[in-house]
Amino acid sequence: MRFPILHALICLLPAATEAMAEPQVQRQPVTVIAQMIESAELGDELLLPAGVYEGNLVIRRSIILNGRAGVVFDGLGDGTVIEVLADDVTVRNCTIRASGENVTGEPSAIRVIAAKATIESNTIEDALFGIDLRQAPDSVIRGNHITCKDMEPGRRGDGIRLWWSHGGTIEDNVVIGSRDMVFWYSEDLHIVGNTVRDSRYGLHFMYSHGSVLEANDLLSNSVGVYLMYSNGITLRGNRMRNNRGASGYGIGLKDCDDITIVGNALLANRVGVYVDNSPSSIDSTGLFEGNMIAFNEIGLLATPNTHDNVFTGNAFIENEEPAATHGRGRLVSNSFAQEGVGNYWSDYAGFDLDADGIGDVAYEPKSLFGEMLAREPNLRLFVHGPAQQAIEFTSRALPELRPEPTLVDPAPLAVPPKIELALGESGRGGGRMGMLAAGFMSAAVALILVMSTQPGLRAVREGDRS
Amino acid sequence: MSAMTTTPRTVTVRTSAAGFVGGIWHFARREFRDAIASKWFILYTIAFTVLAVGVSFLSLSGVGSHGFAGFGRTAAGLLNLIMLVVPLMALTAGAGSIAGERERGTLLYLLAQPVSRTQLLLGKYLGLAAALVCSLCIGFGVSAVVLAWRADGVGTGSFAMLMSFTAMLALSMLSLGMLISVISRRTGVATGVGLFTWLTLVFVSDLGLMASSIIFKLRVQEIFGLAALNPLQSFKMAVIVNMNASLDVLGPVGAYASQTLGGALPWLLASSLLAWTLAPLGLAMLLFGRRSSV
Repeated sequence: MRFPILHALICLLPAATEAMAEPQVQRQPVTVIAQMIESAELGDELLLPAGVYEGNLVIRRSIILNGRAGVVFDGLGDGTVIEVLADDVTVRNCTIRASGENVTGEPSAIRVIAAKATIESNTIEDALFGIDLRQAPDSVIRGNHITCKDMEPGRRGDGIRLWWSHGGTIEDNVVIGSRDMVFWYSEDLHIVGNTVRDSRYGLHFMYSHGSVLEANDLLSNSVGVYLMYSNGITLRGNRMRNNRGASGYGIGLKDCDDITIVGNALLANRVGVYVDNSPSSIDSTGLFEGNMIAFNEIGLLATPNTHDNVFTGNAFIENEEPAATHGRGRLVSNSFAQEGVGNYWSDYAGFDLDADGIGDVAYEPKSLFGEMLAREPNLRLFVHGPAQQAIEFTSRALPELRPEPTLVDPAPLAVPPKIELALGESGRGGGRMGMLAAGFMSAAVALILVMSTQPGLRAVREGDRS
Repeated sequence: MSAMTTTPRTVTVRTSAAGFVGGIWHFARREFRDAIASKWFILYTIAFTVLAVGVSFLSLSGVGSHGFAGFGRTAAGLLNLIMLVVPLMALTAGAGSIAGERERGTLLYLLAQPVSRTQLLLGKYLGLAAALVCSLCIGFGVSAVVLAWRADGVGTGSFAMLMSFTAMLALSMLSLGMLISVISRRTGVATGVGLFTWLTLVFVSDLGLMASSIIFKLRVQEIFGLAALNPLQSFKMAVIVNMNASLDVLGPVGAYASQTLGGALPWLLASSLLAWTLAPLGLAMLLFGRRSSV
């Protein structure tokens, strides 16, 4: 009797393991959904049943696709997974994965070539391009979570790309490990509360004018926000942190007119703000007001031809170099104070006798080492070392060695301005640091006890006696 | 005076392994006790602690009000301080050790004990090393108290690694100091040579490398190679790699090093420090082993 049961068990085993590997997942071709769309009324909301739908879906009718946990569109590594060709389509609460990866044809998780699409609360995985809008005006991309294919940065696609799509709203998306979130020729966009990290450029504007960027979080990219040839853009309350690498800018401006940068936090980037010939037209300006520019290797870096920018009420705190020129020259064609309000510079060595909050002597940074760095970038190897201090000391002692000041702030602030920053991730390392302190102290005490306790002394005394 | 007399033995220098280690151990304890009771130790410890606490405090005070604590800035400040003070401590301590005994005439007395010269040298080295590490522990410990009190989100791991690398730097400089001590006849000479070495490593070599990189238009790999030969630069780069996972803070040369060496970079830098510990100490043992060195 025992053998037949065993035999039956062995026969059942492969079937059992097969069932365990993919529990209750129905794999079916995506044509099932295509048929549902065909048979629905225009404007209907389709509540999709859970399941994995394989293949490429093209939506040609105005419809609302509402997924739920377990609704997965799988492109099987080929082509664009969902392509929207009709106006007023909504794709919501779906997981979309495995687009093609050959850059020819730019395969995406979702591509929209129609107006007024809403792409909302989807999870996109393993895609070359995440969401690609081409001539899709007045669309909304909200609350999506996008991770791209695991490739070297140069070969990746864009997490979100808009091409000739005016008036879009891009809100509360999270993009991780993509190339850029990029906007080509798209105007009047509202880009609010997005997070881009571990990508190349967080937010990248090309010839896209008149947009508002607010409360975005750009972390550990190569560049946080790079505006190129784009005019009339406002950046308000964004955070750019730890954007590093050979370019490594919190904000980069390339030939942009009438830019307003207010109340942003630029922390621990290689360069806080990089200005390359912005503004470029006559009669246009750039305004930097009330930003926190702190802990960067260089706070403000600008090409020598940069002019007509106004810096007022910013806090330049503990940047390795507060301001530097890219190449040689000085930033004197820009204003570092407006209506008697300059900026706070943490290395300001002046005083404020009348206590009106404005320093009584101008801030004029003259760093010989900084001047040397501008000429010989390789010398940056020697920062954070005594030799750098020695050079600065020498230039203070011998005034004929002092370079011209990089800039002049005639009304530096005596105390840092209050800048409201919603900084998350304020870690709680205090307790652990306390433990570390205790560890170090007890190590010292232990060393003293071990090295000079009684046995040693007794041995010496016995030795003396004998 | 010496604890060696507790183990009565014939006057052969060659003893068992336990006896060998025991000899070193006794010398180490004697050296440690002498060191921590000496003025230089107390002075350096107080100076280092006060400066370290000051740097930690100052680098945080401008920041606390903004709710963003950057350990990077504290570390940058501490780096400068460590690179100035710690080599000075270790070099002068090492330089005074053998030369001091020699000048006082106690070296002959010690060598008359049934221990080898290697044991004496290693014992002294370990004793001084323990004293230096103890001093650093106190300095870093008090700074950690300040950081724990003032700052949130401080990189505990980075701080522990900073302490470890500092200890390695101290050990290598002590090793160099002992080599100077072995080859110097008098304490004054040893201290002078020690100070000159300090000046060379801290300022002259960096300034020289800066000048040569400009004059000879050195390529990045040459600048990096030459810089990594200096234990102080190795220390600095190791600390920065450890905190940032990359050297791009140090410009093109640093970016080059991170890109080409990748994960091997911290090990390479640590081994430069280790080489600076083992080589001078080995050479010191070799030279001290010769009869004429008394």
